[in-house]
Amino acid sequence: MSQLSRRQFAGLLAGATGALAMPSLAFGAVPRVVVVGGGAGGATAARYIAKDSKGAINVTLVEASKQYYTCFFSNLYLGGFRDYGSIGHGYENLSSNHGVNVVHDWAASVDGSRKVLKLASGAELPYDRLVLSPGIDLNYESVPGYSAEAQTRMPHAWKSGTQVKVLRDQVMNMKQGGTFVMVAPPNPYRCPPGPYERVSMIAHTFSQVNPTAKIIILDPKEKFSKQGLFMAGWEKHYPGMIEWIDPATHGGILNVNAETMEIETDIDTFKADAASVIPGQRAGSIAMAAGVNDGSWCPIMPATMASKADPNIYVLGDASVAASMPKSGFSANSQAKVAANAIRGELTGSRVYEPRFANTCWSLIATNDGVKVGANYKAGAEKIDVVDKFVSQGGESDAVRKETYEESIGWYNGITADMFS
Amino acid sequence: MKSTKIRRIVGFLAAGITFAVASPSLVFADDNILANADFGYGEYLSGECVTCHQQNGSNQGLPSITGLDAEGFAQIMLAYRSKELDNNVMQTVAGRLDDEQIASLAVYFASLPAEE
Repeated sequence: MSQLSRRQFAGLLAGATGALAMPSLAFGAVPRVVVVGGGAGGATAARYIAKDSKGAINVTLVEASKQYYTCFFSNLYLGGFRDYGSIGHGYENLSSNHGVNVVHDWAASVDGSRKVLKLASGAELPYDRLVLSPGIDLNYESVPGYSAEAQTRMPHAWKSGTQVKVLRDQVMNMKQGGTFVMVAPPNPYRCPPGPYERVSMIAHTFSQVNPTAKIIILDPKEKFSKQGLFMAGWEKHYPGMIEWIDPATHGGILNVNAETMEIETDIDTFKADAASVIPGQRAGSIAMAAGVNDGSWCPIMPATMASKADPNIYVLGDASVAASMPKSGFSANSQAKVAANAIRGELTGSRVYEPRFANTCWSLIATNDGVKVGANYKAGAEKIDVVDKFVSQGGESDAVRKETYEESIGWYNGITADMFS
Repeated sequence: MKSTKIRRIVGFLAAGITFAVASPSLVFADDNILANADFGYGEYLSGECVTCHQQNGSNQGLPSITGLDAEGFAQIMLAYRSKELDNNVMQTVAGRLDDEQIASLAVYFASLPAEE
């Protein structure tokens, strides 16, 4: 963007929001931002608003967990490439380095007219701007027979944490030559390549501890992210182990039964020795409670990530409708910086720059065989538009694939530092 | 100019074409490639970089980009923009940066302490 258009953008935004910011500035009160959710969106937003406002904004982060286990790289734990502790992170640095007030509690409800967030403990947090980055909730009912109870035997493991440990244990303890079944989620969902990286990582583990095991993927989708790259990788590294069954073939997933470990489809009933069921998804419940959703997800203004329903509430990451961006940790981190810049401008009059978004999704197929897909984006009038994009190519050299994997490790270290340091 | 460090970062990213940064075709139209640098703008733009490259300069899987010579930093970004350096992530990042933005990033990152 040229210098002129960049400054035009800043001027337009400042003009549009200056009036809103005046009351708190006029009375000399320190404006308050409350952030809900300590993942890639929320932790980044809290850190950037606090870091860059240098005390001019009072930032509170509400997150139930004291230790956050990243969804990204949880598949590498399933594959034995990471230990569980290495994907866990605490919030201490956000307090000590940037003065963020970290509250470990559940956000219960939002009173948008009074601009107050209510916590499960009963406490109330008043805000000038509220940032909601709650991630996803699961639509258990999207898979007939699946439920919160069934997830112990058929873990979704789609929100990291203990579910991932349950899944790893079931993979490690599956009987020799047994069958693992994964029910893949319907669109849209968190981490588009994630289910297929998961299968790759479980196949890697089986190739070491249970080489005659089979993996069946029952997919409600006709195609999936990086499909050609994954399927070529499965054929190369795990020949004959993985079978992907599309909806035209299985005819629909009619029922899952966690007692009998049977998954019934239109054409056949599959008996699993271990299984993972990833159901459909929706925005985290606090977004619904705040009333900023339209159906399952929350529409946003592309230039700022402000909710279309309430200009004092911002929605980041998986919970938002941020198409063309995928629901990913990288996307949420990128959106958080756009929102932080806009919020600081509104509350303190700091310079607001043009929004810029980016995302890359790395996936590991086998040892040193990494692939990636990514793009950068700009704010369009109606949605976030792609500027340029790339994807790994079939037939790349082993050296390129190894470099791609090493790049993903650098990214993991970078984004977690950008969230938690 | 900390040419050793710059060669190391270029070498890490695209072994074998380190000479590209000295190519005349990569030099800004303006003689002074940092003339339009805006430090504050560079700080804002750096948000896109530090999702992967750590702001404190630590080098764990990706090259450190802090504390480099600003002019060398700018030349590397130009080489990604013109696709003379390989790496599709970096080509996409640099592909939408204009000269002022590259200069601003270069001056900002040059101001941060180098890796330990």
